[in-house]
Amino acid sequence: MVPITHYLVLAAVLFMIGMFGVMVRRNALVVFMCVELMLNAANLTFLAFARQRGDDLGHVNAFFVIAVAAAEAAIGLAVVIAIFRSRGSVQIQDIRTMKH
Amino acid sequence: MTLPDVTFADFHPILPALILMLGGAVLLFAEVFLTPSAHHGPAHVSRAHQPIIALVFTAAAALVSGWLMFQPARAVFLGFAVLDPFSAFLSLTVCVGLGLSVLIAAGFLRHRKAERGEFYALMLFGAAGMSLLGVSNELVVLFINIEVLSVSTYALAAYLRRGPRPAEAAFKYFILGAFSSAVLLYGISLLYGATGTTQLSAMAPQMSAALAKTQGLVYLGLGLLLGGLAFKVAAVPFHMWTPDVYEGAPTPVTALMSAGVKAAAFAALVRVFLALGHNLDSHLLATLFAFLALATMVIGNLLAIPQRNVKRMLAYSSIAHAGYVLLGVASLFVSGGAPTGGVLGATPLATGGLTAALRQDAVRGILFYLLAYTVSAVGAFGVVSALERREEEDRGTAWDLDRFAGLVHRRPWWAVAMTAFMLSLGGIPPLVGFMGKLLIFKSAVDAGLVWLAVVGILASAAGAYYYLRVVVYMFMRPAPETGVLPERHGWTEAALLLSTAAVVVLGIAPGLISSWLSQAGKLFGQ
Repeated sequence: MVPITHYLVLAAVLFMIGMFGVMVRRNALVVFMCVELMLNAANLTFLAFARQRGDDLGHVNAFFVIAVAAAEAAIGLAVVIAIFRSRGSVQIQDIRTMKH
Repeated sequence: MTLPDVTFADFHPILPALILMLGGAVLLFAEVFLTPSAHHGPAHVSRAHQPIIALVFTAAAALVSGWLMFQPARAVFLGFAVLDPFSAFLSLTVCVGLGLSVLIAAGFLRHRKAERGEFYALMLFGAAGMSLLGVSNELVVLFINIEVLSVSTYALAAYLRRGPRPAEAAFKYFILGAFSSAVLLYGISLLYGATGTTQLSAMAPQMSAALAKTQGLVYLGLGLLLGGLAFKVAAVPFHMWTPDVYEGAPTPVTALMSAGVKAAAFAALVRVFLALGHNLDSHLLATLFAFLALATMVIGNLLAIPQRNVKRMLAYSSIAHAGYVLLGVASLFVSGGAPTGGVLGATPLATGGLTAALRQDAVRGILFYLLAYTVSAVGAFGVVSALERREEEDRGTAWDLDRFAGLVHRRPWWAVAMTAFMLSLGGIPPLVGFMGKLLIFKSAVDAGLVWLAVVGILASAAGAYYYLRVVVYMFMRPAPETGVLPERHGWTEAALLLSTAAVVVLGIAPGLISSWLSQAGKLFGQ
């Protein structure tokens, strides 16, 4: 059996990749996917701990998170479409009308 | 399997949220069945019934919150939620902010010819999430409620999606909001791993064992949780999104975001860290919050000073106000207390640790401040929304200070109302903002954070500069020759009247709500 540490490290790596991606990637859709990656890293952590403890709670939590992520995806994609319609591009550097 | 024993009494704390959700559902159905279809009827149909429906349900939710304030504190739904005066007061604050925002939105949308049914429904759903966030006593429930309010506000921010600004604001808000939610959730999952539970009341006794065994996990989890919540309240250094989002979103939505979202996030922050902070090194928490408060107060005020765009200035000022509230939060966690007793006449502390009475005072200060900020800021955004015009928005001059020049000659009562809001935000007596600051600074001084309170007072003195500048423009600058007389909106003016009344009356006679406020210091389990 794979020890729990492996899952946790994998989740941490996924989380870091997601976090890094949100900060450096330039395409709105890729940034959006990176956020999803972070949510799934949290899910994996929940599941790993739930399995280690033999506890159902973590599994239930993962389902809630999946549902929330789906709702978020719906609204996020709608916003990206609105951006694309108003500018014809989803590159982050084009999204800067407002100046400091 | 045994079914949990849930009675009707368990539903009491979520009643305000249920009423708001019902209102949202009614609005959506009214849009489908009562409004003539755009294909058959005239292009622009009147939807005057919508704000009325929204206001009726908001008022009902506010009344129920007021009733809940006097219920004994207890845990409900197997400990997943709590009923306590603290959350009831938060619900009430959210309803006040929501009602005023609905009034502003009614005038704003009529003027833009952008009335559609989902706007008020989304506002009510978002407010239901805010109200539920206050009662959440379990971390995953807390996460879900943050998402309920966030998803509604993302959609609201993008409501006028044809223009470039709202779409941009919604996108920034969405990415950073989703990012902070993910950070928060990862922190929750680590805390679950360390303690084996996500319920705050069950987690608190596990904390010392978890700290001994897996210290890193606990600190990392709490740190991520704090980071996620700090994003939501726009504390420096997590404030970058605020100015752009507040400027780009439709003004009534900005009002709701600055008042409701922030208040709810602060309630969650206070509840989580009061529950879990017992077993931590309290010095660490106090230092952390003191640092956040210091940075937020100073940087928020400094960045607001050069702004000529009033809407953006209000965004920076909302960061500064989050700093003052964080000062109150920091004073909750100070363990040493004032060395020689309360400076402003409160009971002296004998042996370390903030006494329960002083802690309740600090919680009251935070809640009163949130209410004070709600009525002042929503009113200010109301004036901003009344003055802006669609044509100037794309050029970005809709909110320039020049729009306020000579307002007293064109719309004298708006100028008077705006003056009241500006003075209240600046913390000038006898308005409500002053009372709020007084309570916050008093609890900080009682907790021994004298230096931080001094910094806060200096920062708010600096803040008076940019608030008074708006007043100077309104009263002492001539109106531009070409200026068009701003259109009047009955709904917006009703909002201005109500918030001006609240700003003045609560400032002169805060005793009116003192019976509620003295209740509201009570948190479940504290």
